[in-house]
Amino acid sequence: MSTGATPPRLVVEDLVAGYGDTPVLNGIGLTVDAGEIVAVLGATGSGKSTLLRCIVALLRPEQGRVLIGGRDVHGGRDERDEILRGVGLAFQDAALLNSMTTAENVALPIIEHWGADEDTALMLARMRLARVGLARAGDKMPSELSGGMRKRAGIARAIALDPALLLLDEPSAGLDPTTARAIDELILDLRARTDMAIVAVTHEIASIDTIADRAVMLAEGRMIASGTLAEVHGSTDPRVQAFFERRLVDDGASSGLVGELEWKT
Amino acid sequence: MTSAPIHVPVPKVLAAGSFRALRRELARHPTGAPVILDCHEFESADALAVARLLRIIAEGRAAGHDVRLAHLDDAARRALADVDPAILEQDTVPRRHPLEVVGTQAIEAAATAGQVRRLAGATVAGLTRPFGAEGIKWDRALRQMALIGVEAVPIVVFISLLVGVVLALNGATQLRQFGASIFIANLVAISTTREMGPLLTAVIVSGRTGSAIAAEIGSMVISEEVDAMHTMALNPVRFLVVPKVLALILMMPLLTVMSNLAGITGGYAVGVLGLDLGSDAYLSQTVQSLFMSDVTTGLVKSVVFGVIIGLVGAHRGFAVRGGPEAVGRAATSAVVTSIIACIVANAGFTALFYYTE
Repeated sequence: MSTGATPPRLVVEDLVAGYGDTPVLNGIGLTVDAGEIVAVLGATGSGKSTLLRCIVALLRPEQGRVLIGGRDVHGGRDERDEILRGVGLAFQDAALLNSMTTAENVALPIIEHWGADEDTALMLARMRLARVGLARAGDKMPSELSGGMRKRAGIARAIALDPALLLLDEPSAGLDPTTARAIDELILDLRARTDMAIVAVTHEIASIDTIADRAVMLAEGRMIASGTLAEVHGSTDPRVQAFFERRLVDDGASSGLVGELEWKT
Repeated sequence: MTSAPIHVPVPKVLAAGSFRALRRELARHPTGAPVILDCHEFESADALAVARLLRIIAEGRAAGHDVRLAHLDDAARRALADVDPAILEQDTVPRRHPLEVVGTQAIEAAATAGQVRRLAGATVAGLTRPFGAEGIKWDRALRQMALIGVEAVPIVVFISLLVGVVLALNGATQLRQFGASIFIANLVAISTTREMGPLLTAVIVSGRTGSAIAAEIGSMVISEEVDAMHTMALNPVRFLVVPKVLALILMMPLLTVMSNLAGITGGYAVGVLGLDLGSDAYLSQTVQSLFMSDVTTGLVKSVVFGVIIGLVGAHRGFAVRGGPEAVGRAATSAVVTSIIACIVANAGFTALFYYTE
């Protein structure tokens, strides 16, 4: 940049987005710096995955901007592709290409964007797989991997090009506690070795407490808490408290139909 | 001024028949006045009866009635206490005016045309860059050539051979009456090379390949593989569509040539073995009847059919939303649409060549 200052790895400004007439996100703002791990929290359906889709330009927002390294990811197709080469996204269900082996999946972006020959790319892919504890799974097809192995392979593909920004969609959801813990350790290890900025979308409280420096919490598409982990834990919003205490929110809306429908003479 | 409420008794058991009768009765009343569903006889123990009651209320409200309940027993109160009032807003499917339906379909058709145009543009752009970092994925294209071309040869040859036999037999019954059986060679050669060869090949390839393209891409869409390619800054059209369309462009003419040869062989078999026309005479008549333009016309058509099959299959695949059932529908739709599009294009070509020759 002309000022000499390094822009934040990710800036989300006043984001409004949805599917058709259904609004999902409303006024979301977020900044993530290098070397920082930010957890995006929220219950199922709160808009967490939609936020990720906007960040990687799979969904165009109706309002607001997403800046990655200071550049607008929704600016234009060529610029978007250039920006996305510096971003890794690990999908919730890994989204590995089922027609390729696990190693070929990880090698694909290396061949396409770094111009490596296939053998070299496969060598690097196996190194990435070893990094996530899948050193011997390179020749397996995605359908032969367990859920936890697929998630780790998805992370290996996401870090294939040493991205400046790593996005993780529910990295430890649905995994046994040991595998979930291993993934948390992997995320911390990635941060320790590089200055990667990491955004982890999750609703796993144990994982949040282990990995996150900061957190933002979404509910019904709005940000209801934001700050350091301690600040978010200390939020007075009943929905945040209910989330961390794992209890139902009493919003007073479920009084039933009797009062509304009963005819009173 | 508020109108006097209308009392409608709810029967003891709200089974399918009494449910329909109650809906009909509610529909008969004019809107405006409150309608009170009197539940003093209603035994609401089961969930289905409660759901039917709620549906009547929702439909009544949608039609403009202020529907209320009276004389609820404890069981009904308990059942309704668990229900979110918002369910009444979600229950009814809004009826749309026929003009609105037509308009929506026209807008969707225009959107589909735009999607196909963009897909075709991206595919052409991909085909015009044969080499380099952004070039054609030749390894994938070669695999597709084997799948689309080589593996289709037996079925194309078999079907075309039989169609050649059928053409010859049908022609023979007519031409024999005029002592013109030898012209069976003309009939088979010209109709096969100009029409039947390319069209039969297109129908077979639509069934084999068009459906496979739609199913493959559709499955990748629902398992987020296409999204993953986008996020890796990889162009799905370059990886998934360009190799297939290239393979179709190269393989369709070759399959058509084989279809032509098989069709003519079928006619030859009937002429020589069934009608004693003589091998040399039949072959000589075939060669004399054919012009190079007959063959090239068919080959040009086959290339266009290949592009149609590839683009329709890919479009149907990318348009998949939902689950595995949608993939099946996309595969079926790809076959039906591409066959219709090929037949329409064939009719256009035939008319064009007829008037320009």
